[in-house]
Amino acid sequence: MQQNVVELENLNFSYSEDRLLLKNINLNIAKGKITAIMGGSGSGKTTILRLISGQIKPNQGKVKVFENDLSKISIKQIHDIRKRLGLLFQFGALFTDINVTQNVAFPLLEHTNLSKKLINKIVAMKLEAVGLTGTQNLMPNQLSGGMARRVALARAIALDPELMLYDEPFTGLDPISLNTTAMLIKKLSTSLNQTAILVTHDIAVTMGIADYMYFMANGEIIAEGTPQQIKETSNPAVRQFINGEITGPFQYKYATKNSYQQYLEQ
Amino acid sequence: MRHITNFIKTIGHPFSSLIIMLGECTRLFWYLLTGCLYSLKRPQLIIKEVYFSGVLSLLIIAVSGWFVGMVLGLQGYNTLQRFGSVSVLGSLVALSLLRELGPVLCAILFASRAGSGMTAEIGLMKATEQLDAMSVMAVDPIKRVVIPKFISGIIAVPLLTALFDTCGILGGHFVGVNMLKLDQGTFWSQMQGSVDLHNDVINGLIKALFFGFIVSLISVYQGLQAKPTAEGVSAATTRTVVHSALAVLALDFILTAFMF
Ligand SMILES: Nc1ncnc2c1ncn2[C@@H]1O[C@H](COP(=O)(O)OP(=O)(O)OP(=O)(O)O)[C@@H](O)[C@H]1O
Ligand SMILES: [Mg+2]
Repeated sequence: MQQNVVELENLNFSYSEDRLLLKNINLNIAKGKITAIMGGSGSGKTTILRLISGQIKPNQGKVKVFENDLSKISIKQIHDIRKRLGLLFQFGALFTDINVTQNVAFPLLEHTNLSKKLINKIVAMKLEAVGLTGTQNLMPNQLSGGMARRVALARAIALDPELMLYDEPFTGLDPISLNTTAMLIKKLSTSLNQTAILVTHDIAVTMGIADYMYFMANGEIIAEGTPQQIKETSNPAVRQFINGEITGPFQYKYATKNSYQQYLEQ
Repeated sequence: MRHITNFIKTIGHPFSSLIIMLGECTRLFWYLLTGCLYSLKRPQLIIKEVYFSGVLSLLIIAVSGWFVGMVLGLQGYNTLQRFGSVSVLGSLVALSLLRELGPVLCAILFASRAGSGMTAEIGLMKATEQLDAMSVMAVDPIKRVVIPKFISGIIAVPLLTALFDTCGILGGHFVGVNMLKLDQGTFWSQMQGSVDLHNDVINGLIKALFFGFIVSLISVYQGLQAKPTAEGVSAATTRTVVHSALAVLALDFILTAFMF
């Protein structure tokens, strides 16, 4: 039987009382595979990653990571789980008061007793893997957006976590760095048997590297399957998303009161 | 009816938010206490913060102390002259600084120079998800970032107060002896005769310790609860300075009532 590293069961979540953001989400992430989550802006993809990393709690339903129900375990156990996962933040979230080396070395310094020399070596390796050799002594404010994002990627993979959560690793990258990053994600998955959750908008690249895909719209999962199945799907919303058509069943709207109701209330 | 409820709300809101704030501060304080051990095991984190909050405040504290001492010298001289007792100028300057002005002014200066900085830094780290990033890496941001800042404030304020007092006395000496030509021997011996080590010096430093504690607590609390936006951080910074000043003055009254 295939083993799942992450399972979301009948999950509901809302930030505020008047709007349910995630509705009845069921999602399984298989071990050693790359699973992509796609969907429009604001459909709740980042929120799912925040749920999996235990930063927020679901209103209903279960989040299971490494077979632990996050709502049933202590803070300390959540910390133990977090040591086994890496999260690439959508906006990088680099520490702005320390340089690139110290940023990438941060998890190594906190969780291992490696010597300084070895840590520097690992940092250099990770930076090379993301294509940023020689940036060691720059401060985060001296990096371009795409560079900062790749430094954040290097920091997230520093400890070679079993589970990687990538929040839009490809946005703002030039085609070469984009391919480098995609290859890196694939390589980590195949050579280290790392499980990956990939949140992205980039259909073409994702089709190439993902093993399984989920499509989200308006807080629900509307389609799932292997890239091949997705390519052949007849689901009009997915087809619209893949082809980037403006009109169709899939609508970018912030699910809230209709505008005329707002006028009436004023 | 609506007016009445609105009226009650207007009155009640500041009270309830004050009580909520006190409650949150207390909870934060307990959390800080329980996490202290972790930070004490990593003194280099605290040293770095003491450098930022303490060492970089040395100049402003020394200069302010010097001026306050000079003003005390001038004012004291004018008043004492009317009673023909200018000889006690030294005691007057030293006692007012050691017992009151040193700890209070130093704490308020510290709040505006370093406390506001702590608030802004923590608030910005929160706004840019740096604190989230840390906790996802299984590092408790309170222990790693907040507690060292908190401890550094408690260490720095008493030390800065000692410096403030010293510079103030030298400033008073400068005005009294060098400008107004009082007798240097009388100035020092009067001071020596009237200042008590335990009653005046130590009590003043104990005050400073309390002030350092309250200012640091307010600073980190405001940073942690700042709204993660530019306005939120700037409002929190302002609140740090205002609340610290109020808290220091109120606490000063209580401590003075107990000590002297
Ligand atoms: N902290 C928050 N408080 C309240 N609402 C939030 C918060 N964070 C996100 N939201 C809302 O939740 C919805 C989903 O946000 P989320 O960040 O998960 O979207 P996303 O799918 O990652 O979008 P994108 O592709 O643009 O990154 C958005 O409509 C947003 O308004
Ligand atoms: Mg997002």
